[in-house]
Amino acid sequence: MSTAPPAREPSPDPATNGDPASGYARLRELLVGPEQARLEELRRRLDDRQLRTEDLSQVIAEAIALRLRRDRSLQLALNPLVEEAVKISVARDPGILANTLYPIIGAAVRKSVAHALRGMVESINQTLERSFSLESLKWRVEALRTGKSFGEIVLTHSLRYRVEQVFLIHRETGLLLQHAARAEQIVEDSDLVSGMLTAIQDFVRDSFTGAGGQEVETIALGEFNLWVQHGPAATLAAVVSGTPPPELRTLLERTLERIHSDFAAALSTFNGDAAVFVGAQPLLQSCLLGRGAQAEKRKSRGFFIAAAVVVLALVAAGIFLLVRHQSRWDKLLVRLRSEPGIVLTSAEESWGGYRLTGLRDPLSVDPEKLMRDSGVNPAKVTARWEPYVSLHAKFRAERQFRVEKDALEQQVLRFALSSAQLGGEQLSRLDDVEALLVNLQEHAASTGQKFRVDVRGHTDPSGNEDRNASLSQARAESVVKALTDRGISRDMLRIVATGSREPVRPNSGTYLSDLNRRVDFRLILEPEGAR
Amino acid sequence: MIQKKICMVGAFGVGKTSLVARYIYRKYSDKYLTTVGVKVDKKFVQSRGAEIKLVIWDLAGEDALTTVKPAQLRGASGYILVVDGLRRQTLDAAIDLQRRVAEAIGAVPFVCVVNKADLRETWEVQRGDIEPLSAQGWTLVETSAKTGSGVEELFQTLTDAMMQEHNVSDSTTGAVAG
Repeated sequence: MSTAPPAREPSPDPATNGDPASGYARLRELLVGPEQARLEELRRRLDDRQLRTEDLSQVIAEAIALRLRRDRSLQLALNPLVEEAVKISVARDPGILANTLYPIIGAAVRKSVAHALRGMVESINQTLERSFSLESLKWRVEALRTGKSFGEIVLTHSLRYRVEQVFLIHRETGLLLQHAARAEQIVEDSDLVSGMLTAIQDFVRDSFTGAGGQEVETIALGEFNLWVQHGPAATLAAVVSGTPPPELRTLLERTLERIHSDFAAALSTFNGDAAVFVGAQPLLQSCLLGRGAQAEKRKSRGFFIAAAVVVLALVAAGIFLLVRHQSRWDKLLVRLRSEPGIVLTSAEESWGGYRLTGLRDPLSVDPEKLMRDSGVNPAKVTARWEPYVSLHAKFRAERQFRVEKDALEQQVLRFALSSAQLGGEQLSRLDDVEALLVNLQEHAASTGQKFRVDVRGHTDPSGNEDRNASLSQARAESVVKALTDRGISRDMLRIVATGSREPVRPNSGTYLSDLNRRVDFRLILEPEGAR
Repeated sequence: MIQKKICMVGAFGVGKTSLVARYIYRKYSDKYLTTVGVKVDKKFVQSRGAEIKLVIWDLAGEDALTTVKPAQLRGASGYILVVDGLRRQTLDAAIDLQRRVAEAIGAVPFVCVVNKADLRETWEVQRGDIEPLSAQGWTLVETSAKTGSGVEELFQTLTDAMMQEHNVSDSTTGAVAG
């Protein structure tokens, strides 16, 4: 407005000076001239594209900044424009955009490939673990039945992990926005956890500059894993016990994306008031997946180990017992086969016992004694022995001995009433007794058997007991004396006085009671230990 | 509840951790423990009738080998510059640090504290050193982590300043939105 007003140009016309019309024009010019000139100037500027562009260029940056602060409509309006511009740029010369993106594209591809590979390795491991189990089959059936993806079923059922706590952390300040934990979980100060976690992130970012924007995604702490998912404005961290499945990573990613879209404004203007993020609590709660299987799994693993030990011990004990049984059984068979008077025709083992069949001389050793000696329980053995007579020398001698023993025990020397004197007829019988005793002594010497002979004096039931006792004693003594007179060893003989206590036939008549006045013989084998 | 992140910064061994320990746990130990990286603590403070949760990032002290990491300062609503009254060079370090922190996170409220007031008679830092800073608008306080004097006030002063900023920013965002 510093230049001369152009409106003045038509006015100084000397020809029309005295004209009243021109005088009016002059008056008007004097009164509103400056305003008119300004209006003229404004109109010129509005009409002049060049000038208008210059004006706009001076304020356009501030205007955009102001509008951006107010709402997102400018972005929305510019979006198709930018897309179109990029398209045109690529169509015209792809090299420009390629060159621009070159420094970041390598890192982006590397990161994405590494991420994908790691996920794949994790899932291959898990798949291999799961694919052959009965459980996985059950899950697949459930997936088919419910129409959910197998991954979702695995997430809800997997027994190998449990999300204990979830932290939503403001990326820039490291302040805790929201926190969810299982009811039974003892929660350490979550604000400090959140702060320290962010500090660790920063530390890693600063310390490993080569990592170029890499983030800590997993921290392993004994049985706990801390899985961290990063977004532009917030970080989601999950404390997981056990081995989380890769599907959990996807869930965390999705949850964080959801939080970013639902709370975009609150995240960007966060100034310390976490109350606005209460709405994210259900999202965090939905991340508290898995069951308390860690302990269960351990317990069952411990149980399996214990069970395996017990089974091994049982198997070892079984083998030991079997071997011992076998060796005892074999020993028994050897004994039975070598035993005179026993002929083993078959020996079988069956479930729960043994079966033996064969021939056995009644004089042979009791097979049950052999079993006990060999350590085989006789109750477990079913034996069928057919009796037979062995011609083994041992049995021949014994059989002879038995015959003679029976013969001796049938010998009876009779006495007259109240007498201890052997009559003439009885003396000839004494010869038989003497001969039997001599033979028995010989056979006993050949088989190593020892014996003694009870010479037993008896009376009839008449008379009193004392008298009968002494009478029976006297009868036995007279027989022993007669035998020793004939050269029989006195050591072999023993006097037994029975009185009338052992009648031949109890309660018989007088005639028969005469038979009770007698001396008879009993051969007693000495036990082997007495040898 | 409003949460605010603040940082303790300063040279090596000036007493940052001791101030935090005195403030939060009301205790002091002569034993020196160097802070590795960062230690995070928290404390609830009343300011202007509201309860504020202070999340205090106690950063490792600076020396020839360690410098404050900008990433650790990120998001802080305020900071405390700690100076050791016994060592003049820690004041110079604080002046340098203040410049760098302001570059990293902008002009947020801060308080400069000269620590070890219990040994005031042996201080190297003189009134003349501090006055120019006061003139620049710095808030300066004296504390002793050992006796506890000035510690509560230190954190209270910073919290009040931060809350003033907080309310101002709230009202400005409100104005823009309207």
